[in-house]
Amino acid sequence: MRIKAKEKDGITTAKVMAKHPMMSYAEAKKKGKEANFITYVIAKVGDEVVYEASTSQFLSKNPYLKFKFKGENKGKELVITWTDLSGKTKTDKKKIK
Amino acid sequence: MERRKFLGLGAGILAATMIPAGLSAQNYRETKVDVWKVKNEKDKPGVDAAIKALFGTDKVEDGKVKLKAPDIAENGAVIPVTLKAEGASRLALFQDANPESLVAVFDVPKNGIPDYSLRIKLQKTGTVVAVAEIDGKLYKASKVVKVTIGGCGG
Repeated sequence: MRIKAKEKDGITTAKVMAKHPMMSYAEAKKKGKEANFITYVIAKVGDEVVYEASTSQFLSKNPYLKFKFKGENKGKELVITWTDLSGKTKTDKKKIK
Repeated sequence: MERRKFLGLGAGILAATMIPAGLSAQNYRETKVDVWKVKNEKDKPGVDAAIKALFGTDKVEDGKVKLKAPDIAENGAVIPVTLKAEGASRLALFQDANPESLVAVFDVPKNGIPDYSLRIKLQKTGTVVAVAEIDGKLYKASKVVKVTIGGCGG
């Protein structure tokens, strides 16, 4: 995952790009593969949830997500986890600038 | 006596499923399995049905939500969309161009700012609909996106 997170005046803007084929059922059928896509993304700073998305097959390949949240978070770590349809999960973190 | 017991049990289950959104993390893939299956039929988009399945009502007013999407997308596989709704506790994105209607659901956490962007796929030209829940009421915004090359294997 590529993560960029920056705080300015108490607002953190995060840009995330996950590496995932996001294979929809239609695409999978055409290619003779299994459908698989990210179904859930959660971002935390410490114990606090700062972003949450339940997602579908209709997000683009290598999905890009941008979100904002409040708080004095400079220097803290933003931890992002996604789960896909196959049950695989991936977690990455990045220090908020 | 049996009946009473049964009713009591039902009320308990109902209470358990009515945990308000926002209190804890929620994966709608697990809590609302059926909403993801609402189909866009030919001549009958599933957007309204999906809104009802997700929020429990289809009473939706226009306004309060800002939806940003291109007028024309040359590539239906990568369409940038931004949803913005001040004070929203929940945001959801739908469309009527793909086999199913629902694209994504966001529970906005306590310190979250409902100003979210993502990139989506549209198989063909269609209407993208953003719905926000603000103080228990639903608001929506829609936008037609013209797709010149489809992006869902279609």
